[in-house]
Amino acid sequence: MTIVPLSRTAHAALRIDPARAAEAAAAVHLVPLVASEIRQVAGQFPVFLAKDAETGQFYPAALMGLEPQENLFWNGAALEADVLPLNLLRLPFFVVGEDAEAAIAIDEASPALAPDGPCSIVDAEGGETDYFRSVQTILGRLLQGREETRRLVDLMLETKVVREIKLDLAFHDGSTSLLTGLYGVDEVAFGRARDRITAFDDLMILAAMALSLDKVAALVRRKNARIEAQAAWFTPGG
Amino acid sequence: MADNGAIRSVCIVGGGSAGWLTAGLVAARHGSDLKVTLVESVRRGIIGVGEGTWPTMRNTLRKIGLSETDFMRATHASFKQGAKFARWRTGAADDFYYHPLVLPEGFPDLDLAPYWNADPQQSFSDAVCFQEALCEASLAPKLMTSPDYVGVANYAYHLDAVRLGELLSEHCTGKLGVHHIDDDIIDVRLSETGDVTAVVGERHGAIEADLFVDCTGFASRLLGEALGVPFIDRSDVLFVDRALAVQLPVEEDSPIASQTISTAQRHGWIWDIGLPTRRGIGYVWSSRHSGNERVEEELAAYVGPDFAKLSPREITIRSGHRAQFWKNNVVAVGLAAGFLEPLEASALVLIELSADYIATAMPASRSAMDFVARRFNTMTRYRWDRIIEFLKLHYVLSEREDSAFWRDNRDPATIPQDLQDQLELWRDSPPGEHDFASAHEMFPAASYQYVLYGMGFRTRPRPGRLANADAAQDAFERTAALKRKLTATMPTNRALLSRLAQYRFPPL
Repeated sequence: MTIVPLSRTAHAALRIDPARAAEAAAAVHLVPLVASEIRQVAGQFPVFLAKDAETGQFYPAALMGLEPQENLFWNGAALEADVLPLNLLRLPFFVVGEDAEAAIAIDEASPALAPDGPCSIVDAEGGETDYFRSVQTILGRLLQGREETRRLVDLMLETKVVREIKLDLAFHDGSTSLLTGLYGVDEVAFGRARDRITAFDDLMILAAMALSLDKVAALVRRKNARIEAQAAWFTPGG
Repeated sequence: MADNGAIRSVCIVGGGSAGWLTAGLVAARHGSDLKVTLVESVRRGIIGVGEGTWPTMRNTLRKIGLSETDFMRATHASFKQGAKFARWRTGAADDFYYHPLVLPEGFPDLDLAPYWNADPQQSFSDAVCFQEALCEASLAPKLMTSPDYVGVANYAYHLDAVRLGELLSEHCTGKLGVHHIDDDIIDVRLSETGDVTAVVGERHGAIEADLFVDCTGFASRLLGEALGVPFIDRSDVLFVDRALAVQLPVEEDSPIASQTISTAQRHGWIWDIGLPTRRGIGYVWSSRHSGNERVEEELAAYVGPDFAKLSPREITIRSGHRAQFWKNNVVAVGLAAGFLEPLEASALVLIELSADYIATAMPASRSAMDFVARRFNTMTRYRWDRIIEFLKLHYVLSEREDSAFWRDNRDPATIPQDLQDQLELWRDSPPGEHDFASAHEMFPAASYQYVLYGMGFRTRPRPGRLANADAAQDAFERTAALKRKLTATMPTNRALLSRLAQYRFPPL
C-alpha cells in the first residue's frame, strides 16, 4: 500500500476501476464496521467485536473468513455478497487523521488505479464527478460514525452483553481451525440487559449482531465448498 | 463493649500500603455491614517499602475494585516477571540465574528436574521455562489486547509504593466508604480484659472500634507497645539490618527491565527495580560485617557516574517478627508485624494475605475472635518461618569467599534445622509438592527448584526417575518453541506502557 494525500491537481488525470478495488479484500478476514451499517451488514456476515492489536480497543467487524488472511466471499474476481461494508466500498480511498485534521488519501498501489478505468475524480470542467461525490459520502459516513460506534461499543461492554466466542471448527477434509479474539453478543446476557438498553436503534443493532452469529454456518459451507473445489483440482478424473 | 458483642466497626491505625490494602479488602468485602475507619498521620508519612509485588496483587486489586489501567498509571507501575540473581553463586561477572513467575513446563504433572539433573546442558531456569528469554529482552508479559489482569505469561508489578498508598486512599474513601481521619495518635486505651477500646488522636480525641488493625510500621504502637507482644529477632539467620537506597531517574524511551535484579555484593546485595520514570536501587547489608562507607562505594560503582547527583537514604531495618500477630482485638499488618530483607518481595504479599484473611475470616462477634486470632497466628507464623528459610536458601549455597558476610551465612549454626534437613533430602530427590504439604505454603516446590539448581545444587540422578523421557523431551522442545514465538511477538515493556498511557486494557 502507498497511501498519499489526495490532490485535485496531482490526481486529476487518474482513472479508477472501483470493481477492482475489492481485490484488496481478498486477503482480509475481518472488516471494521460503523454502527449505522451493522444492521444491514449483519444480514450477510456474522458481526463480532474484535480488538485492535495496537490499542486493545474493541471495534465491530464483519467476519469474512475462518482464518487470518482468508476471505471466503472472494471468488477470484469479485466479492460475492449483496451487502458490502463501507470500508470496502470506499477503496481505494482512505480517511487519514482525526476530526478537523481528517483528510482524504488514496492508495497509489491499488489495482483499482487502471488507465482503462471508467471513473475519475474530476470531470472535464474541473468539477467533482458523481463517482467521487459518492466516495465522499461514504467517507463522511465512516468519519461521522466513529463516535457513534465508540458509544455503541461502550454500551455493549457496560451492559455486559458481550462474551468471547471461540470458533473451534472442523471441515470436511479433517482440517480444523481455531479462531480466537472474537466477541459476540450473547443472547442470554442480552436478554438480561434489555431493560438497561433504552434506545430502540441500539436494541435492533444488538439483536442483529446476536442473530448474525448463525451466519458462521454459511462461512463453514463456503469453506467446505472451497476445499472440495481444491480436492477436485488435485484428483485426476475424480 | 460487651465481651460477646457484635463486631460492627474496624479501625485501621496507620496508612501506607498495609493500612490502605487492609481497608480496601475489608471494605470491599463487607460493604455497609462494617464501619471501616482509617486514622493516619499524613504529616508522619510512610516508609514505602516493597516496590515489588507477587502475582497475587492482580487478584487483590481486582477484589478491591480497581481497574488495571488506572492502577498502573497512578502508581507508575511496570511489569515484573520474576527475579534475576546475579553474582550470587560464584561472584563472576557472568554468574546469574532466574526465579521466574511461570512454573517449569509441565509442572507439577511432569517434573523436569530429574531430566535436567541427568544432563544439565544449559541453566535450569532457561531450560525449563520460556520466561527468562522474555526478561532478558525486556519484553512485556501481555499485549495491548490482553484484558485487565490477564497476561500471556504470569506476572506481578514493580510500583511506587507511595503512590499506591495515595491511589488506594482515594479509592477507599471515594468508592468504598472508608472513613479517613488525619490525626496523630497520642494514647491507646485498654479495657480491663486487655482489649483496646480506643486510640486517642491529638485533634479528634478517642476513636473507638471493635477491632483494631495495627499498621503503624516498625513502631507497632498497638500490638507491640500497648499490648506488649515481643519482637522476635531473626537476624541470627538473616544478617541484613541496613539499607542504603537511591532513586535514579531514567530516560523516557529507555528499556524497562521485566524482572527485579538482585546483584550480590561483598557485604550484601543490591536490588534494582525499574519503573517507567526511575530505577529504585538499594544496597542491603549487615552492619555487623561492614561499615557504610564501603557499602556506599560499591553502590556508587553499581549506579555509575550519576550517583554523585543522588541523595542516598539510609534505613535501619530489623529482621524478624512479632511473637503473635493477633492478640485480643488487635491484629498487626505490614511492618508492625515484622520485616525481612526484600529478596523475594515478601512484604506486600504478606500484607495481602493478612488483610485478605482479616476480611474473609472477620469474626461476627468478640467471643469468636480469639479462635480466629489463634488460627491467624499459627498460619502467619508458619508463613514467616517458610519465607525466612527460603530467603536463607539463597545464601547457604553460595560459593563466594570474598567476605565474612558470605562465609558466616554458610555457618550451620545460622541455618534453620528444617532447611538443613530439607537440603539433605534434596540431594536425592528434587523438591516436590510432598515437601510443601501445608495449605499456607508461600513458595511452591518449583521456586525451590529454581533457586537450588540456579545456585549450582545438584540432585543425584536416579534412572528410575527418568521413565518419561519422551514427555520430558517434548516439554523441553515446547519451552524452546515458546521462547522463539514469544520473543518474536511480545512488545517491549516500554512500548506497552507507552500505549497504556494513551489507551486502556480492554475489560474482557
